[in-house]
Amino acid sequence: MSLRTVPNITVLRHFAAFTMKRRGQEVSSSSRRRRGRKEDEARAEMSESGAQLFARLEGRCCLKDIEPHLFPEDGGPDHGEVVELCGTEGTGKTELLYHLLCRCVLPEAAGGLEVDVVFVDTDYSLDMLRLVSILDSRLNTALSSNSSARSEEAALRSCLSRLLVVHCSSSSQLLLTLHFLETSLSSRPSLALLLIDSISAFYWLDRCGGGASFAKQEEKLSKCAELLERLLRDYRVTVFASCHAIRRSSSGPSSSSDSYLCRPWQRLVSHRLLCSRQDPVDSVAAAVGDRGQRMQPVFTVRCTSSSCSMKSFRSSSFCVTDGGVEFIGTSSSQDSEQSR
Amino acid sequence: MVVLREGMCPGLDAGLLRNLRAADVKTVEDLVSSDTEELARKCSVSYKALLAIRRVLLAQHTAFPVSGADLYEELLSSTAILSTGNPSLDKLLDSGLYTGEITELSGGPGSGKSQVCFGVAVHISYRLKQSVVYIDTTGGLTAGRLLEMLQTETSNTEEQMAALQRIQIFRLFDVYSLLDCLYGLRSGGLQQASVGGGSVKAVIVDSVSAVISPLLGGKHNEGMSLMIQVAGVLKTMAKDFNVAALVTNHVTRSGSGEVQPGLGASWSHIPRTRILLERVEPAAAVSPSGLRSATLIKSSRQVREAASTRTSCSSLIALATVREANFLISCVSCSV
Repeated sequence: MSLRTVPNITVLRHFAAFTMKRRGQEVSSSSRRRRGRKEDEARAEMSESGAQLFARLEGRCCLKDIEPHLFPEDGGPDHGEVVELCGTEGTGKTELLYHLLCRCVLPEAAGGLEVDVVFVDTDYSLDMLRLVSILDSRLNTALSSNSSARSEEAALRSCLSRLLVVHCSSSSQLLLTLHFLETSLSSRPSLALLLIDSISAFYWLDRCGGGASFAKQEEKLSKCAELLERLLRDYRVTVFASCHAIRRSSSGPSSSSDSYLCRPWQRLVSHRLLCSRQDPVDSVAAAVGDRGQRMQPVFTVRCTSSSCSMKSFRSSSFCVTDGGVEFIGTSSSQDSEQSR
Repeated sequence: MVVLREGMCPGLDAGLLRNLRAADVKTVEDLVSSDTEELARKCSVSYKALLAIRRVLLAQHTAFPVSGADLYEELLSSTAILSTGNPSLDKLLDSGLYTGEITELSGGPGSGKSQVCFGVAVHISYRLKQSVVYIDTTGGLTAGRLLEMLQTETSNTEEQMAALQRIQIFRLFDVYSLLDCLYGLRSGGLQQASVGGGSVKAVIVDSVSAVISPLLGGKHNEGMSLMIQVAGVLKTMAKDFNVAALVTNHVTRSGSGEVQPGLGASWSHIPRTRILLERVEPAAAVSPSGLRSATLIKSSRQVREAASTRTSCSSLIALATVREANFLISCVSCSV
């Protein structure tokens, strides 16, 4: 539905007042006693405005084609889906998140989607200087025709103003922050993407703080996952979360793909991107001889989706340049259920 | 986990607190996650009042979202890059140690990690005239060595003494005193440690693996949790007070036999930049050489050559001339 055919906002407000009766019905006896202006105020607080209703139900940009290299054909993340990026250190997860972020906040002239993004930073891993250099180089290549310093600054500033950054230092704070973000979600219909880097930052703290019972250890992250599920259902945003691997993969990248987080989170994830890195072969680099032409390490991403009935995965490789992530090759494979 | 207490916010009196506890709502998280209408009914309080309490508590305890533009402005005006005193190491680190981040130096015994840390401390206190907090957990720091390094920079004893005074040293040998020290520094200690006009610009922990690796392994997870706590307090200190954190780490051998930094996969995500130091033995060596090689194994900035940040940074502490410290270090390879 195009945003230009927005129905009359007053019509929506009346509609909202009639349909949002769930709070009005359960007014307690003490507030029934208050008459006049106070009761009107209470009712206004209990119902939501037309704009909030609109933001809740419609209007979020669909991010299905956020990065066609990563996801199988027509299998991009739909509204309300969660994508998890897993991998050991140095496999390009944060770079991929920067790439997706830039794709979302850049203006349409530079190949972006012009949507708002919330970045939940749990381990202070957001490097704003690197992010700005990626945005800068992409804006430069796109708007190189009429670039003056001031217009570039203005373009950069408008991109950055679409980004909201939140730092969390514990899983209880993460839970409270997600509750707080609900108001931002309802008041900004252009907010379509929630990035969490990383969801596993408090794993060891929770495990130690929960004593001997696994249930207590996983309680906080389970609550966060349940809250996220409700937010996804109500507000239809998309979530990308990175999850650090905690064991060094001694038997190849497939062993680090086992998810160790709690079950409610694993149920929530609909797509998993496994990241790994291949270092360039040393003999080739030595043969080249010139230090300035070192081979770049190649990163691979393998996407598995649990949502589609035909288990299909897609593998792509990229390398990291000054302008961010650049994809070099993709391959996909379809394993139908009959072959199992 | 924040427990609900009387007087935390207007409207939260003793009676309401009792009713909430009876309804099994003891912490702020419980209050925020529970259904407000049902809770208002159970505790016989008005829905509007409970909603107001919930809103105030949420605003008090959540992290406030910041716009990307404001964050970038703040970063531009507060980030500084501290030169390490060694030009090739600076080139590897993309012109030096960045404030607000953790940089890790790993290496085997005798590979020069502590010497590099001494050099950095001396350089910052003498050249940049800023204070340094040096946390020594191995007992390898002697003031005589620092003095020896300073004597190559200047022969004026007053300047040497002033520079030595700007280096504040803490000697601790277990992780709990390390955590105590770091928490103390974070809550006011850093301001007190600023002596001689310069504020603290670097916190060096040499070495962090000496106090944490004895606790790792085995069935108990307390070691991992303590490691993450140390990392957390170092990062918040680096960010809030704009200091550069430099830590050292030991090395282990991976499954395929190559040398890798220690403390496991969970620690590997924590430093923003990691450097591996190794001894370099020339082919026909008679005696151990003084050469060490530094390899950059993780960096968020060095993708090709030294990629420069935006040149409109106004507070770069960059040096025009740099003197080498008292050892040789040569940059051999830069592989990311």
